Amino acid sequence: MTTFVFAFLGILALFLGVFLITRRNPVAAAMLLISDFVILAVLYGLLDAHFAAAAQVIVYAGAIMVVFVFLIMMLNIPNEQIRFTRVTNIEWLLAFVGIVAAVIVAQASSLGWLQTAFPNAARILPNAPSENTRNVAALMFTDYLWSFELVGFLIIAAMIGAVVIAKQGRKH
Amino acid sequence: MSLPELGLLFSVLLFLIGLFAVMFRSNILFQMMGIELLLNAANLAFVSASKMVGNLDGQVVVFFVMTIAACEAAVGLALVVALYRERSTTETDDLTLLRG
Repeated sequence: MTTFVFAFLGILALFLGVFLITRRNPVAAAMLLISDFVILAVLYGLLDAHFAAAAQVIVYAGAIMVVFVFLIMMLNIPNEQIRFTRVTNIEWLLAFVGIVAAVIVAQASSLGWLQTAFPNAARILPNAPSENTRNVAALMFTDYLWSFELVGFLIIAAMIGAVVIAKQGRKH
Repeated sequence: MSLPELGLLFSVLLFLIGLFAVMFRSNILFQMMGIELLLNAANLAFVSASKMVGNLDGQVVVFFVMTIAACEAAVGLALVVALYRERSTTETDDLTLLRG
């Protein structure tokens, strides 16, 4: 049953993605992207990654997409200005070959490969649903503490950079 | 198929969809949405692999990827604003300033 729900939601996410990249209206595409992110959050939840699911909804579907929608509405580009590139036959063919190759690779790299690559990887078990956030936090603030601090620095730098870049136009 | 295997399969296909958006759409907004799809596909692969091998490092990396995605969106969209002010276009095909 869980597998069926997972497969159904995954296929739905893929269809939403295809709809998204074929839209002409950016607002419609942004709304489809938000629903795609929410579906992905459910998939994370089904994979027992409850902290990732919550962060997905709050950070992605919330914060990042608000910025996207805000910008799209601020620019207010007429739909006629948004063009489609013409995809040639050879590009369709290459895309199809790429899809087939990717599916084959994904099938080949199943359980056995990962477990031989990480033989004694299981570090924090059992991963009970109520324990997930606590265990992730314990890992994040011990082994990954340095990365965590650096990422905090990075996001401040990005914020300052964004403000500087967006304000430059006023000089002209 | 088990859940993580399905997740890996979906992540590959989602990555391809995002890649097609970046390759085949000329509008910068759609290209940036494609990049978001790419990052989400990577996240799904991390979560699936984390479930597969039973350790939580993958889920910590998911958090870092989301932070990087937020940085990318902020800087990228600021660049789009600057671009639109300067050239009144969001089509990357129109940016031919460096063409010889």
